[in-house]
Amino acid sequence: MRSSGLVEDARGLGAHDHLCWRYDEPAELSARVREFLGEGLAMGARVRYVGLAPVQTLAGELHELDGMGEALDRGAAEVSSLTGTYSTGTVVEPAAQVRIYAAATAAALAAGYTGMRVAAEATPLVRTPAQLDAFARYEHLVDRYMARHPFSAMCAYRTGELGDDVIEQLACLHPNTNHDAAGFRLHASAGGEYDASMNGDLDLSNADQFATALDRAELPLRGDELVVDARGLTFIDHRGLLRLREYARRRGVGLVLHVSRPGPARIAEVLGLTDVRVEHRPEHAA
Amino acid sequence: MTAARPDEFVHPALFYRSDAEYLDGLLPFVTEGLAAGQPVAVAVPGPRVRLLRSALGDAAERVHMVDMTVAGRNPGRIIAAVLRHFADPHAGRHVRIVGEPVWPGRSATEYPACAQHEALINAAFAGRDVTIVCPYDTVGLDADVLADARATHPVVWGADGLREASAEYAPDSVVARYNQPLNHHGDAEPHVVTDAAGLPAARRWVADRARALGLAPDRIADLELIATELAANSLVHASTPCELRIWPDGGDVVCEGRDTGRLTDPLAGRRPAEPTALSGRGLLMVNDLAELVRIHTSPRGTTVRAYLRRR
Repeated sequence: MRSSGLVEDARGLGAHDHLCWRYDEPAELSARVREFLGEGLAMGARVRYVGLAPVQTLAGELHELDGMGEALDRGAAEVSSLTGTYSTGTVVEPAAQVRIYAAATAAALAAGYTGMRVAAEATPLVRTPAQLDAFARYEHLVDRYMARHPFSAMCAYRTGELGDDVIEQLACLHPNTNHDAAGFRLHASAGGEYDASMNGDLDLSNADQFATALDRAELPLRGDELVVDARGLTFIDHRGLLRLREYARRRGVGLVLHVSRPGPARIAEVLGLTDVRVEHRPEHAA
Repeated sequence: MTAARPDEFVHPALFYRSDAEYLDGLLPFVTEGLAAGQPVAVAVPGPRVRLLRSALGDAAERVHMVDMTVAGRNPGRIIAAVLRHFADPHAGRHVRIVGEPVWPGRSATEYPACAQHEALINAAFAGRDVTIVCPYDTVGLDADVLADARATHPVVWGADGLREASAEYAPDSVVARYNQPLNHHGDAEPHVVTDAAGLPAARRWVADRARALGLAPDRIADLELIATELAANSLVHASTPCELRIWPDGGDVVCEGRDTGRLTDPLAGRRPAEPTALSGRGLLMVNDLAELVRIHTSPRGTTVRAYLRRR
């Protein structure tokens, strides 16, 4: 299973989890990286730390963890410096980036690990609007990969260097985050059971962000219906529901929502949305 | 009586004193419509539905029957959810509707919304090939209500086939007269929503109070939608903050949104949803979800009150 929700640290996450971590100070990020990768190692995954500093410095950050030195020596843990990997202004190619991590996950499995876990600093990759758009698309694409494969990741974004609105646009595409200012999350569902999962509140306060997130997610279609797990959706106003319906219509499919609260069905009834099917399901254990 | 032109909306009030006069006035209207192959709907209080159904016999099956005390509980939703809901799919044909939104037992709080609704039907159906007959119980209703009916209906039908134009027809003045100030409710503290970012907190504030007031969980979900739409309306359409208040009123919970904008469209929230529009359905939602909606608007501001029944 994969979890969805707000977190206060990077502990207790599973083999399919995808965490957005918003941080102020590098020291604070280091602590979260050690939590995340330390537990990954304990779960038998190969772990990788992608950071801004030179590799020796990154390795030094990890060394505080018991057994990490040995893990680095035998290849169970890796460090990689962004500075050497990307030039300033690099715009990621979402599908290619996913293929890189899919290959790393396959290699880890072939080498006898239970999966792959990465903690990556992503701040330099979202500085320009073009970078942000491409990377946000990548975030959802890789989230879909994670939902089905033993690949888990923590994506770190630094405040101050990035505007809050930029981090919100990225955080809302992760199932887990320490930053809930966007108020909603749109992500891949556990095991790919649904075409997407939606959590949180949708209203006028995040209507534009929701529209942007939907466009970037390019949700996969497997049939003639877009089936969304909206059991974790605590509120949606009529704008949000109409936006989602319009998204499905534009792609030529019907919309099905599985919900745990009465609101969406009431909106569909009041507005006569006969092409939206709202089905009540008990609250899921998030 | 001269025959109405096909593009003319006909909106008579039928004054009746008894079941017999009720049937005398309405049975021919219904059966002639059926004989002409026209769509016919009857939206009247439950006992009147049963009276008409039994008098119509088998023909009742061809009439769309609605209990107005349920579907039209809130007068603000009748135009969209009852009248146009039935008439719109039959565009191009003459549609006949019996609509009885005013009955003895409507409270003093409800009545101004009833009178405004009756007046606004004229604007909502202007130029449409529809006849809506509104029965008024002259024994059970006050003289003031009957006087208002003469002002909201261009034509009055009476006993023995009486048909007369109403000299008192003045629907706009009824809309204005019942645009009554909704004074601050004494001890209800406001929760002010100044921007969209405040909507989630406003929703929680409203839900917490509604729960304490004993509103059922599914109605709290309705109230969250209502409060969100009221506040969003102020922010989007009036570009002003919204003061939300909530308080108990007898068997109801009242949720009020107050802003400093003016509502210039009297039919706002009464038109059915456009299939492709992405927003602008806020007041329509409120009208549909609440048992009663009262509105007062002036150059100094607008107040919308939604009433939800406690169970």
